[in-house]
Amino acid sequence: MWKFIVRRLLITMPQIILLSVLVFIMAQMMPGDALSGLIDPNIDPAAMEEQREKLGLNDPWYEQYADWITAALQGDLGQSFRFKMPVEELISQRLVNTFWLSLVTLIFTYIIAIPLGIISGRYNDTLRDQLISGYTYIGFATPLFIFALVMLWLFGYTLGWFPTGGSVEPGLDPGSFAYIMSKFNHLLLPAISMALITTVNTVQYLRSEIIDTKQKDFIITARAKGAPESRVYNKHILRNSLLPIAAYFGFEITGLIGGTVFIETIYSYPGMGLLFMESVLQRDYSVVTSVVLLFGIASVLGALLSDIILSLVDPRIRIK
Amino acid sequence: MIKRNWRFMLYACMLGLLLALVACSGDDKSKSDKSGDKKAAKNSEQVFSIEDFNVEKKNEGEAIDGGHFKYGIVTDTAFEGLLNFNFYSGEHDDEIIKWFDESLLAADKNHNLTQDGAATFEVDDSGKVFTFKIRDNVNWHDGKPVTAEDWAFAYEVIGDPDYTGVRYGEDFTIIEGMEEYHSGKADSISGIEVVDDKTLKITYKKASPSLLSGGIWSYALPKHIFKDIPVAKMAESPEVREKPIGFGPFKVESITPGEAVVLTKNEDYWQGKPKLDKVTVKVVNPKTVVQALKTGKVDTVDKFPTDQYPDNANMSNVEFLGNVDMAYSYIGFKLGTWDKKEKEVKPDPNKKMADVNLRKAMWHAIDNEAVGKQFYNGLRWNATTLIPPSHPNFHDKENSGLAYDPEKAKKILDEAGYKDVNNDGMRENPDGEELVINFASMSGGDTAEPVANYYIQAWKEVGLDVQLLDGRLHEFNSFYDRVGNTGEDDPKIDVYMAGWGVATDVNPAGLYGRDALFNYSRYASEENDKLLAEGASEKAMDQKYRQKVYKEWQQLMIEEVPVIPTHYRAVVVPVNNRVLNYTVEYYGLKRHEIAVTQEEPIKAE
Repeated sequence: MWKFIVRRLLITMPQIILLSVLVFIMAQMMPGDALSGLIDPNIDPAAMEEQREKLGLNDPWYEQYADWITAALQGDLGQSFRFKMPVEELISQRLVNTFWLSLVTLIFTYIIAIPLGIISGRYNDTLRDQLISGYTYIGFATPLFIFALVMLWLFGYTLGWFPTGGSVEPGLDPGSFAYIMSKFNHLLLPAISMALITTVNTVQYLRSEIIDTKQKDFIITARAKGAPESRVYNKHILRNSLLPIAAYFGFEITGLIGGTVFIETIYSYPGMGLLFMESVLQRDYSVVTSVVLLFGIASVLGALLSDIILSLVDPRIRIK
Repeated sequence: MIKRNWRFMLYACMLGLLLALVACSGDDKSKSDKSGDKKAAKNSEQVFSIEDFNVEKKNEGEAIDGGHFKYGIVTDTAFEGLLNFNFYSGEHDDEIIKWFDESLLAADKNHNLTQDGAATFEVDDSGKVFTFKIRDNVNWHDGKPVTAEDWAFAYEVIGDPDYTGVRYGEDFTIIEGMEEYHSGKADSISGIEVVDDKTLKITYKKASPSLLSGGIWSYALPKHIFKDIPVAKMAESPEVREKPIGFGPFKVESITPGEAVVLTKNEDYWQGKPKLDKVTVKVVNPKTVVQALKTGKVDTVDKFPTDQYPDNANMSNVEFLGNVDMAYSYIGFKLGTWDKKEKEVKPDPNKKMADVNLRKAMWHAIDNEAVGKQFYNGLRWNATTLIPPSHPNFHDKENSGLAYDPEKAKKILDEAGYKDVNNDGMRENPDGEELVINFASMSGGDTAEPVANYYIQAWKEVGLDVQLLDGRLHEFNSFYDRVGNTGEDDPKIDVYMAGWGVATDVNPAGLYGRDALFNYSRYASEENDKLLAEGASEKAMDQKYRQKVYKEWQQLMIEEVPVIPTHYRAVVVPVNNRVLNYTVEYYGLKRHEIAVTQEEPIKAE
């Protein structure tokens, strides 16, 4: 097992390095830089030029990359030009928000997916199954960002049930109960919006797994032995069908990263996704490269996690 | 594995779509409003005029004691959180700092310094030596007095070679000894003298009227707090980001990074106790600002998106105030290049747009008034000169620029030799060669494309073949890169459309001077040099004389047409009906006097 994990990690390293080079070059190719947005007659162009020189923005990209990567390996991701603070501090501020948002989304995803998948699989080709399948097809077809906008408009504005932006009500004491509740309240709507869309994959997986398992010999055996229907489903079928779902968990994380970029932008929720968008638009290179790199690492690790779970739950799979 | 790659591709596409969607979401909303509400439908075609807006809020009702005021900053990004005048660069931070700190020097609506601020000043006869006296009752939020030492400290920090902000510029180099200090040749700034605790003396290299209208750095930096922090680390220090202080009417209580700041009143404020107890300043997304106002989540905002105004002009719980924005839109002609070595403009008489008659004809050919009414509901209107009416002392009201007159445009072109010799319907240049003019315009907002197309169409009407550069609009950063933000102008651009915010000091040398990088049209002439120098000379400290100089300069710009001023703009600010003593007059808002008539903002019916 350990051998496998180490080997996988070794393969991922070049991937991540390549990713960092690509990201860096692409960031450099974007027109403008962090200072070019400051076109303002109150600011002397000479002062900007001086800052460019100081920040090394005038150096060729490979020199900037070398500087950046050596610092990054020592845990220093550089300084955000826009926020004037170390990138790692900025990211850790935002990462907390995204972490909770992702976690709640994941929980909702499974809360929705598991019952729906079971019902749909158990009573396949009945009206219930058709309704659920109908929902999953609509879910597949609906772009997340449109759905999120509709949810925001409906529950945020028209009904006014949820806050419409930010991560917490200003002025509350951090750590207090009201603060935690406010945080939760702020991430509820974005999390539900995202979960309702991302869950459809899992529902479909679960459904087809259950239908598959239902016809396996050992189920027929169980039934023949006179096991009650609930026992057949809860013990025999469900357990076996959940295995692939568990394996899918790693990929789910990868999907969440893409999702948070949309969700956070729409709900003005200050997490990594919003930070990424803002930094791209404002040409805050050091932040863009760091965030993309982190996203990349998270995806690679997510895939690794899936492979590990898969090989744990299914001993037949052993990657040599 | 392959499946995952597709997912990423898909997300990339969706991201693009999202951007497009966000850009048009405002429009979608107005459409749905229109179908539902006939009144709104009428409104969106209505034309407004800045004349009909009040600058000051009507005061109705009795003020209550205290109250919690909610101020919104309209933006779709987080604010940076550099909460100190000496370090910030984003305008959103500025909107927050103003609540807890202020300039030591006050100004009037003409942007001229007055003696009503936290410090008074005297100028000696030479006009070079300024003596400032800080009032005795001006104290930092921690109770320590604001001293001349603090003020001088701000100069020392900004002038320091390690300073990380963008403020070190002409305001500073004009001080005696500043450049020596900045380059490390001197340990102190010879032109700055702390006379006593409350008196600061600054000696400038030359007298200039700019000093009296925004050319003096008037933001103190509390030395007792910052003195032990290395200059390079100041901007990121918790003293700037987490617990900033000032001497303004409110104190910072808590900060939610990027989202909001909560402030409480400063009992010790030098102009008297503020009437409000508490102020929350928070970020409001432009897509949701209307709802936030209607539901009373905010009392007012810094700037209301004007494209949403027509549909919301009747919002029942607010009064819309308006003022002329310190900005204008313009169309520029490329008349030369930037000499990187000499750092100055190099006019090129062989440029496509070098003939002044061609430029004049292009001005006559376009109807800016109609564009303002059609696309901006009158919230942008025809500009006449390059000094906007936000500077009432210097804007020349009598000068009406060049009027819309396509017939005259055709006549000018005919006379200048621009004739259609090959009968393709488009004019050729006087040498009989094809004339194709490349027009660069920025993307952004719903109106960018139709406006650009309108201009192209209008020029076609008079027989000029104008083409959109690369056949499309350009994103902000690449637009300015190509127009000349780095000094490497794209030779393909002949005409471009952009805008300027103007500084408090009217002096246009930073935008049209020979040595100004921002002079994107690369226009220079001796007459222009002379007038710009005159306008900033010692003699121009006499306002009458300065007005005369800038009147001549505005006229010169109309005769030479290096750029066409196209539109002036309105700033529109909705204020909840419960708010008293609010104004959008420049420097007019006295934050300690703002009061409210009830505990909660009034909601829309």
